[in-house]
Amino acid sequence: MQMHKSLSAAFTVIAVSLLSSLVALAAVGTAQQAVIDHYAAAAKTTDPGFKGFSVDRGRAFFLAKHDANADTPSCSTCHTADPRQAGQTRVGKAIDPMAVSVNPQRFTDLDKVELWFRRNCNTVLGRECTAMEKGDYVTFMANQ
Amino acid sequence: MSSTLREPRIPDAKLGPSKIIVWDPFVRLFHWLLVACVLVALATSLILPITWLGWHLVAGLAALALVTARIAWGLLGSTYARFSTFLRAPRTLLAHLSELRQGRAHRHRGHNPLGGVMILVLIALVIAIGVTGAFALGGAFKMGPFAYATSFIAGRTAWSIHQWLAYALMALILLHIGGAIYESRRTKENLVRAMLDGRKEARREDITAPPRQPYPGLAAGIVAIGLLGTAAVVAIMTGRPVPGVPNQPLDKIYAQECGACHVAYHPSLLAAATWNAIMDGLAHHFGENAELEAATAQSIRAYLVANAAEHYDTLAAHAFLKQDPAEPLRITATPFWTRRHASIPPLVFSSKAVGNGGQCDACHQDASTGRYSPFSIAIPHGSFQ
Repeated sequence: MQMHKSLSAAFTVIAVSLLSSLVALAAVGTAQQAVIDHYAAAAKTTDPGFKGFSVDRGRAFFLAKHDANADTPSCSTCHTADPRQAGQTRVGKAIDPMAVSVNPQRFTDLDKVELWFRRNCNTVLGRECTAMEKGDYVTFMANQ
Repeated sequence: MSSTLREPRIPDAKLGPSKIIVWDPFVRLFHWLLVACVLVALATSLILPITWLGWHLVAGLAALALVTARIAWGLLGSTYARFSTFLRAPRTLLAHLSELRQGRAHRHRGHNPLGGVMILVLIALVIAIGVTGAFALGGAFKMGPFAYATSFIAGRTAWSIHQWLAYALMALILLHIGGAIYESRRTKENLVRAMLDGRKEARREDITAPPRQPYPGLAAGIVAIGLLGTAAVVAIMTGRPVPGVPNQPLDKIYAQECGACHVAYHPSLLAAATWNAIMDGLAHHFGENAELEAATAQSIRAYLVANAAEHYDTLAAHAFLKQDPAEPLRITATPFWTRRHASIPPLVFSSKAVGNGGQCDACHQDASTGRYSPFSIAIPHGSFQ
């Protein structure tokens, strides 16, 4: 009887955690999905073999160090290595977290997303980012 | 020779020479309160930072009120408080001087003619310093009764005069102290102590003045009415609209776009030409790309140019016109910014609460209004650690 009870409790825990991770994966909001779809369409035109964006590639891109600008070598220089945390501009002004789970307004306005990619990619990488890089980045943030 | 200076001593040493009250309580209170006001005014301008301006104004206003009361008391007060007992014709003054030089000058029971001139000059200087200070406050900080009618340039001139008059006052105070010490030695009586307890020895050879009846009630009434009347006029003048001061909130698009990365600097801080140079160089904006949509950039540029420093008369609109040739666009590189923030430890700027010298609003609570009032400065707690 006791055994049965603890077993069912364990199952419940497993079921709940499975469900919640499914919900998390499915939690990319419609607005963010529209932004991701936009970059997917753009990526397909340049790379016919495009197979979708990757959270891991997005994370690697976010943390990667570049040498275009000594003051801002990486996205994580200002946004910090944890996108759920608030960042800080070079003059010390707070930047709201990038992770959609903490800041659901992120990546909902394509014009704004494009504006900041243009500025920050030019600053950090010294060039515009590709649709692939942008899509990976948004996908990573949408799943944080 | 020296025998004429000394009263014959009373043989019974226990009694000593008889002492009488020469300086009445108001004269003594006035003297030492004015000393306190001058010390506070000096400390709050020469030693302490501009955030002490409030105490500087309190000291200045109190000095003016004290001097007003002293003038009334000089006309209606007790014998030796009266101007008529110590303001002498130039002829008498010169005679006193030559007697002093010859070592045969008599002792004056009140102020001697030289001391009398000093008192008049000190009173005049305190008034002049107060008035020029009020004009400086009006022109430079756009505060107080003359703000509505004083340009920044006029205020800066008044401030310069205010400063030189204050140095002159300090020099005269030293002379005044020197005179008091000299006369104390010459007449063998501690005059500083006399200004504390009001008592001086009554010597037979003293030059005295005929007793005068004081009118404390009348004097107090006149001073009260005078000060209240002045306060009312000052309040009305202070309430008048002040031209040349920004009074509109920041443009929403400007505040949102530029304020995303840094403080949205008030447009009055920089000249139109500087704003144009900044807007022309957004692709390389202090080491970052800050390009905007063409339409947004155009509207922001128009706003900045229409509200640039040329359109205002505040201190902030004049302060940064002189640029650093190496970094003409950086406000924190200007000579004025560097000078004004020199006394603040670098640790404050790099602290988490401030972040960077360019974060004006970390300490200037009114940064977004372009006012930069000395009364709106609050360095965040903990930024000194």
